[in-house]
Amino acid sequence: MSKVNTVLGTIPAEELGVVAVHEHIGYGMPGSELDSKWWKTPEQRYEETVPKLRAFHEYGGGTFVDVTGICNGRDVDYYKSLSAKTGVHIVACTGFVGGDTALPHFARASVDYLTRQFVSEITVGIGDTGSRAGVIKVGVSRGGRMTELDKRIYRAAARAALTTGVPIMTHLAIDAETAIAIFSEEGLPLDRVLFGHADDGVNAEKTRDTWIAEQGGRVGFDTFGYETELEDPPFWARPRKERLDHFLRFIGQGHLDKVLASADANCSPLGWPGVKGHTVNYVFEDLIPDLREAGVDEATITTIFVDNPADFLTIRT
Amino acid sequence: MTDARTAPSRSVNTVLGPVPADDLGVVSVHEALLSVVPGAEHAYDITIDRAEVFEVLAKKLTDFRNAGGGTIVDSTGMFYGRDVRLYEALSRSTGVHVVASTGMGPEEMLGGYFLTPQTNPPTPWPAERFADLFSQEVSEGMVVPRVERRGGAGLVATTATREGMTATDESLFRGAARAARDTGVPVSIRFGADAVHDLEVVLSEQLPADRVVVGGLDRRDAVDAGAPLEVARRGAYVALDHVGSDSVDRDDDDAHLTDRERAALVVELVQAGHADRILLSSNAIGVAVGQPAYDLPFSHVCSTFVPFAKSLGLSDEDARRILVGNPRDLLTVR
Repeated sequence: MSKVNTVLGTIPAEELGVVAVHEHIGYGMPGSELDSKWWKTPEQRYEETVPKLRAFHEYGGGTFVDVTGICNGRDVDYYKSLSAKTGVHIVACTGFVGGDTALPHFARASVDYLTRQFVSEITVGIGDTGSRAGVIKVGVSRGGRMTELDKRIYRAAARAALTTGVPIMTHLAIDAETAIAIFSEEGLPLDRVLFGHADDGVNAEKTRDTWIAEQGGRVGFDTFGYETELEDPPFWARPRKERLDHFLRFIGQGHLDKVLASADANCSPLGWPGVKGHTVNYVFEDLIPDLREAGVDEATITTIFVDNPADFLTIRT
Repeated sequence: MTDARTAPSRSVNTVLGPVPADDLGVVSVHEALLSVVPGAEHAYDITIDRAEVFEVLAKKLTDFRNAGGGTIVDSTGMFYGRDVRLYEALSRSTGVHVVASTGMGPEEMLGGYFLTPQTNPPTPWPAERFADLFSQEVSEGMVVPRVERRGGAGLVATTATREGMTATDESLFRGAARAARDTGVPVSIRFGADAVHDLEVVLSEQLPADRVVVGGLDRRDAVDAGAPLEVARRGAYVALDHVGSDSVDRDDDDAHLTDRERAALVVELVQAGHADRILLSSNAIGVAVGQPAYDLPFSHVCSTFVPFAKSLGLSDEDARRILVGNPRDLLTVR
């Protein structure tokens, strides 16, 4: 049986459909909740979020993977209501975006404790929501190299992935040698890891995407839409054509079975202004049309957005 | 000329709103009600039952009140489990005034929003941004995160890293000092390695010394360095705020004076003419989450310690000044 944990329960992987594999309902750095400049009323939040998810569903989107880690404003009860009312499957994560988003209780914790935290959120549920996490988020702290805490989190994630069969997604794929060494030591097959943000404007040059794929890892081109052409682009933006060419080049090198794509957009950002004009629907409104225009066939598009994510997200027992 | 101390405008910010300063009674300035290590609220093995927390805290506050206590200052700042609505309910039901604090620190206890913001490079917050954040909590009210603001904070509390003040700690101290200077509430600092150095940092922000309380001055290393007397000479309040530490079983038992030594220090400071600068408190934790319990009655200072200090020669008048007058003067909004 192929099963995936969503916030409304376990579903067959066959039901996932088109997957946006690296997204956020709303992301904020820990502590941003104390700064009222970012606060929005619940009405505003639903107003900013529901139309995007409804459009996603109408475009043919099946599943939205939210990778807002513990301490970043992850709000599973809210995701449940959004999923139930829009028909979009939402997968929530356990884990941390990076060591620098883990608050002191977790920053001080041992690998064993972090493993238990992740396993509990995957097998019992997140907090008192009853919803089980479907992926484990890990990442590289700001600064370009994995910190001691990042490494502890990666190791705990590897153990939790082996115990539960749920896959790992990384924020940033720089310093991949260190990450892969940890996963190998723990005996985790690398096709259970999606090395994310291989395409972002700051780190693409420093990311060994083809090397990661050759080791057996999956590679995420998952910041699609953060473009220098935007009205007010963020610092990690990249020229649209450059990213698309990079993506096509990677697929052309024989790594289609390793690739996943997403937009990393916020429906309603929690602790930052967000990026105007960028939503999860970039996948349907821009990316898939661009791929078609570049001559990519429908079977390949299905592989990228349906088959690969289903294979990745399926709990491996 | 009118005596400023009896002017009707003299008030203190409590969670139920401004209260006349003379109504505070016996005050404990450095205590914790609900204390939650940041992040512990998300832990798989921790549940915080609000009704249970309320029951425990209500019992402790009632005991404090029965022992002659009037006001508890929760000096844990804005990011260590502070629960303003719970404190309002506690204050209403027990009759104990509760003063809650804004502020944060040390650096290790901060969220990534302040340390690695989404900018390139991720520069930690400077003093002026902390000053704004803390000032708003006094003038516009303390936050219930992402929901609302409640009553104004009565104190800005911050702490430096034990091994020594970091650059971000210094921004916190300067921000806290500016917030105190601009809003009229006092600032509480818990020093890192060097009490006098850390005090000088806040004083260099043009904050009068009598708006500052320095906590932890019953730490052995500070006492050995002569810090309590130095701090008093500069005009800041000297908080001997680990009263009862030798009656609680903890790993760091040796870090602080015993109550016997502490009482002797009180007498010594009084004899040196600093009775108007001494504050006593326990740093007790009402309910500890994600950390070991520190289960000492809030009444320990007035029921146990002060009678003992009196037996060593502390006068009734000085005892009253330390328990009532000094904290009143400190907490009164200027």
